[in-house]
Amino acid sequence: MTDEREITLTVNGTEHTIEVEPRRLLVHAIREDLDLTGTHIGCDTGNCGACTVLRDGEPIKSCMMFATQADGSEILTVEGMEDLPEAGGDLHPLQEGFREEHGLQCGYCTPGMLMSGKAILDENPDPDEAEIREGISGNLCRCTGYQNIVSSIEYAADKLDEKAAADGGVVAESGESDTGAEPDTDANTDAARDSAAAFDCGVENCCGGPAADSTYEHIEGPDDRFDDLNGELDRDTTEETDE
Amino acid sequence: MKAAQFEHHEPTTVDKAVSLLESLDSPTILAGGQSLVPMLRFRLARPDTVVDINGIDSLDYLREEDGYLKMGALARHADIEESDLIAEKYGSFADAAPLVADPQIRNRGTIVGSIAQADPKGDWGSVLIAHDGEVVARGPDGERTIPADELFLLPYDTSLGENELITEARVPIPNEREGSAYHKLKRKTGDYAMAGVGARLRFDDEGRIEEAGIGMTAVDITNARASDAEDRLEGERPSAELFEDAGELAAEQSNPESDEHGDASYKERMVDVLTQRALGDAAERAGVVKRRVTP
Ligand SMILES: Cc1cc2nc3c(=O)[nH]c(=O)nc-3n(C[C@H](O)[C@H](O)[C@H](O)COP(=O)(O)OP(=O)(O)OC[C@H]3O[C@@H](n4cnc5c(N)ncnc54)[C@H](O)[C@@H]3O)c2cc1C
Ligand code: FES
Ligand code: FES
Repeated sequence: MTDEREITLTVNGTEHTIEVEPRRLLVHAIREDLDLTGTHIGCDTGNCGACTVLRDGEPIKSCMMFATQADGSEILTVEGMEDLPEAGGDLHPLQEGFREEHGLQCGYCTPGMLMSGKAILDENPDPDEAEIREGISGNLCRCTGYQNIVSSIEYAADKLDEKAAADGGVVAESGESDTGAEPDTDANTDAARDSAAAFDCGVENCCGGPAADSTYEHIEGPDDRFDDLNGELDRDTTEETDE
Repeated sequence: MKAAQFEHHEPTTVDKAVSLLESLDSPTILAGGQSLVPMLRFRLARPDTVVDINGIDSLDYLREEDGYLKMGALARHADIEESDLIAEKYGSFADAAPLVADPQIRNRGTIVGSIAQADPKGDWGSVLIAHDGEVVARGPDGERTIPADELFLLPYDTSLGENELITEARVPIPNEREGSAYHKLKRKTGDYAMAGVGARLRFDDEGRIEEAGIGMTAVDITNARASDAEDRLEGERPSAELFEDAGELAAEQSNPESDEHGDASYKERMVDVLTQRALGDAAERAGVVKRRVTP
């Protein structure tokens, strides 16, 4: 039974038509059929996020989906980052952030982290630390301890914000290539200096896991909200409800 | 490992899906694939055919209708997480959604797929139990509803027939004196629960608990109901002592196993604590108690 199916994937703006078996995973189609090996395979079970790509703008784990299921969709992989309008023909601000803020060591998780980072910033250009940690909570890194990855994404958020300001308050939209807002060298130097200062990794969540609550949640007391209320509750439960 | 060979079908209507399920050899339904794809790859499942329901647009909904919150078989975890309706009225759903797996998985995985998977560590089964919910199943003989209590038989085993497709999960719309919450203890973000508790409380005009629902995650062979605790609560006014009793009863009724994350007695204690917290939030959301503000 070799029931090959023809599917069309638009990957990083280029349309490809390939033949795949139904059991072929999207990650294998991307890496092997299209030779785009920037998307990594780590765990193969949905845990590590190394295979994260954007499918129609949404981050998914490409080892958890069959290629046939992606027929007709638009995929963005790490190889497409430099061609995005906000990259201005150079490294994408997220990639620049990972370089400036030491967001990688071995780099294995980095493509997935970049895609999750992109999804975070697409949804919210000004995320706080907790939102970034939540956004990358499906991506494991065994080298860096997450703090620098968070800083890298923060760096990109700032960079994109600067660019938007330079463009007159409008974020460069896809379609028009934005060469007018190249990152200027002063900003780069500043960022490099900042990142050197921020490199002291004394942060409590470092190496603990990707997200803010990545240790056992503190279980101290069951619930203290009734401690003082008991007498009161019996008296005026209904009043409280009615107000 | 690659999945074994299978035929892939993509019906676009429920009728077509049901007739495919009936006519094909050893079919399996594929929804979000966030449990099934790895199972196929480890060859824990070896179906000859996969009936992919992602093309059935009519199953993609999340709405209130005929007295129920109805969640179609293509409602993703992320849809629940992002819904204003859920945020406003369904506390336990709003609590649970962001605690299921991670953002990428929530974009694909469905609440119905999760319930059909019947993993005792799945969060949605407990929420369904707490809300006295049910699933609607379509098979060759037509449609039937299966209450949450009759659905989960064993780990990964439900009372669903082989050729039945769950079209939706649903729970009654809460009234204005009702509140619910879900609390989960996990090792780190994205993990399955070590223990989880969903609670729902409905109050009468006098502030007494008219109806209580408590579902427990990861502390028995299936998602389980804490019925002794529910019985203790009904007819009573909320108080710390009452909720402590309920927590203890839930813990007694749970059956956790010791594993690398903790021994059974620890997990029982956590069921107790999580139950009290979930009940506190449920009562607060029903507008019956207020959180104590420490001066
Ligand atoms: C890393 C990781 C972490 C996770 N963490 C959590 C967690 O913390 N909490 C949690 O609850 N879950 C967790 N999950 C599971 C996740 O929520 C899945 O999305 C869910 O279990 C399955 O939903 P699905 O739509 O992907 O179903 P699928 O994988 O497509 O299907 C699962 C099973 O249900 C059957 N099925 C699916 N839809 C139907 C239907 N409509 N009718 C009948 N049968 C059907 C399938 O045949 C299959 O047997 C995790 C998964 C991963 C990979
Ligand atoms: S390879 Fe896909 S999540 Fe690890
Ligand atoms: S940089 Fe090595 S795994 Fe993240």
